[in-house]
Amino acid sequence: MQRQWSDTSRAYAMNAPAMAAILLLVAYPIGYSFWVSLHRDNLAQPALRRFIGLDNYLGLLSDPAFLTSLGVSALFVLLVVGVTVVLGLALALVLNETFLGRGVLRSLVLLPWAMPGVVNGLMWRTVFDAKTGALNGVLLQLGLIDSYQAFLASTTGAFVFTAMAQVWNTLPFAVILLLAGLTTIPNELYDAATVDRAGLLQRFREVTLPWLLHPLLIVLILETMNAFRAFDTIYVLTGGGPGDATATVALLTVQRVLTYTDVGLGSAYAWVITLITLVVSIAYVGLLYRRGSFEV
Amino acid sequence: MTRHQITRRTLLSAAAAVPLLAACGRGGGSSDGTVRFEGWDYESQLVQQNLDGFMAKNPDVKVAYTPITSAQYVRKVVAEFTGKNGPDALYVYDDSLATWVESGYLQPLDGLPGVDEVYNGIYAANAQAMTYKDKRYGLPYYTDSTGLIYNAAILERAGIKAPPKSLDELEAQSITIRAAGLIQYPIAFAAQLQDTWASWLWALMYGSGGSMFADDLTPTLAGADPVPLAVYEWIHKAATVSKIIDPASLQLTPVPLDNAMMAGQYAFNLGSRYALRVYNDPAKSKAAGAMKLAQVPSLDGAVHGTVANTRMYGLAAETQVKDKAMVLLNFLGGHTDGQPQTARFWFLQRGLGFTFKDMAKDKEITDALAKWVDPATYAALADVAKARNIVQAPWYAEFEAALQKTSQQILTDQITPQATTTTLADTATTLKKKYS
Repeated sequence: MQRQWSDTSRAYAMNAPAMAAILLLVAYPIGYSFWVSLHRDNLAQPALRRFIGLDNYLGLLSDPAFLTSLGVSALFVLLVVGVTVVLGLALALVLNETFLGRGVLRSLVLLPWAMPGVVNGLMWRTVFDAKTGALNGVLLQLGLIDSYQAFLASTTGAFVFTAMAQVWNTLPFAVILLLAGLTTIPNELYDAATVDRAGLLQRFREVTLPWLLHPLLIVLILETMNAFRAFDTIYVLTGGGPGDATATVALLTVQRVLTYTDVGLGSAYAWVITLITLVVSIAYVGLLYRRGSFEV
Repeated sequence: MTRHQITRRTLLSAAAAVPLLAACGRGGGSSDGTVRFEGWDYESQLVQQNLDGFMAKNPDVKVAYTPITSAQYVRKVVAEFTGKNGPDALYVYDDSLATWVESGYLQPLDGLPGVDEVYNGIYAANAQAMTYKDKRYGLPYYTDSTGLIYNAAILERAGIKAPPKSLDELEAQSITIRAAGLIQYPIAFAAQLQDTWASWLWALMYGSGGSMFADDLTPTLAGADPVPLAVYEWIHKAATVSKIIDPASLQLTPVPLDNAMMAGQYAFNLGSRYALRVYNDPAKSKAAGAMKLAQVPSLDGAVHGTVANTRMYGLAAETQVKDKAMVLLNFLGGHTDGQPQTARFWFLQRGLGFTFKDMAKDKEITDALAKWVDPATYAALADVAKARNIVQAPWYAEFEAALQKTSQQILTDQITPQATTTTLADTATTLKKKYS
């Protein structure tokens, strides 16, 4: 007599292949990278590979390059996320209005998101070029500069322009999420606020913003993670320079693993990035999640 | 109609096949005696054409050639060797040689047929670059030396008759060119941070007879060797006081710099001899015919020197087809019928620099050279060129990154020359300790 499977057993059986794939392709590499981070493991010196516990992590506390890169990353995240949220919200509000050509504009806004980071970097490098860049051409024609400038040659210029290139690439994602959030706000709330003589700013502060807290939370978490992990655009535009003005921790991680083949220390770098983004995400959730819960 | 069913036996058979498939990727070399040969993807069709010629003459040696994207070459080869799936013969950068030897990827070629003959006939810098701990690990693919490249037409318009011999002359000529209203910043270097080396900086150091490291790789930057500080003082002055170096150098990698030189946007740069071939090609360059090569200007104008890089062919440590691979290596990097056939092939086809001294006296070669560069200057640079000894340190890549970073800082006045040499010496000492 054939034994009947329970629903639970059948569910496990049906999900087993997917679970196995996830374990093999996601969980195992993540766990293995942590294991590697506990080793002195430079592919250039295979004979010296050995378990060193948390030494890689403890060493980071006195590693000036790492500490400097953390500061650069923090500022980069602050600038990129701040500008992305403000611009993203403004664009979403505009695109939520009804006007001629809205559909076309909505499609166009998505374009930068479709661009890979490396291509984004190459494009902006052309735009910022000191000899033939479009930005120089425009500013010169507007009379704002007397001669072509090397925008990426100063520490401040390189930092700000690299951050803006990153914003351009990731802004559409924020716009989509916020636009989706805006469409869920019942019109009755705006009508009621208007009846109560609430002005434009009041309606935004009392109706729009509270309803957008959950989408904002997602935008903040994902954009923070993106900005913290930003590598390709920075690598192509400045390579981390001038000096170490744009040397973010993600850039250093890739350099550590791929250029110096120091997979042990590089993995420790990667885990620190993971932990920092986790802590920041938890902070966002703690600050915003409850405020954005409504009974409708 | 019958329906195909997956039985338990089929499933078990499939499961058993997985490790078998995985096993197919293991082990160096091929079981049929084919030589697995890998290189970065420069002119891969020409490489294959050359290999086809080799196999036609050596029917008992089959070669399976795999070109790998240049930007990923080192990483991919390291991954292959780490996975015990490396090639039998391969291209090797001089920057990677020491690391790959220490990692056990390569075997020495000493005593193998043809090797002594090659090393006796090549420039000292190339022999040094292919030797590690007194053992020879490579046969030469190509080389290049860095020289002063200048636009003679711009110099002539500024009333300058000869290229500068000293760094002070370089500064004075640049100021003259600017004063003539020709170019605001006459000098540019490829000073953007990159994974490769800052050849311009090494050329300036070696050009004045400097050496940043002693033979035992102890840093001599901060004291023992006065040249690095003096060179950094000149760079700092040229960038921040006389302002003859373009600030845009920090955005320049070699290719955009080449384009700017060919567009006549700069009068001087420090670049590889090879670049002159394109610079003086009328189909590609507006400045064709005006681009010339000279010795790297030095601090006193009397010393001559520069830096050379070497690309070589190496033999895998664990190859199962050593004899056949060595026949291939001798064809590629050694002599065939008494001539360095492949080195000649590459020079005549693409202008790649040769390591064999006799080729500099060969009429066919000098005639070809004369079309785009002065053969005497070309050979003179090879004569005085030196290899970087520091590439033999396992921490070289980290030091090179620090070197490039500080060069940007000094160009942008973030750091003094004295602090630059001290920082670099400290970095080298720390790295030496860290990797020990």
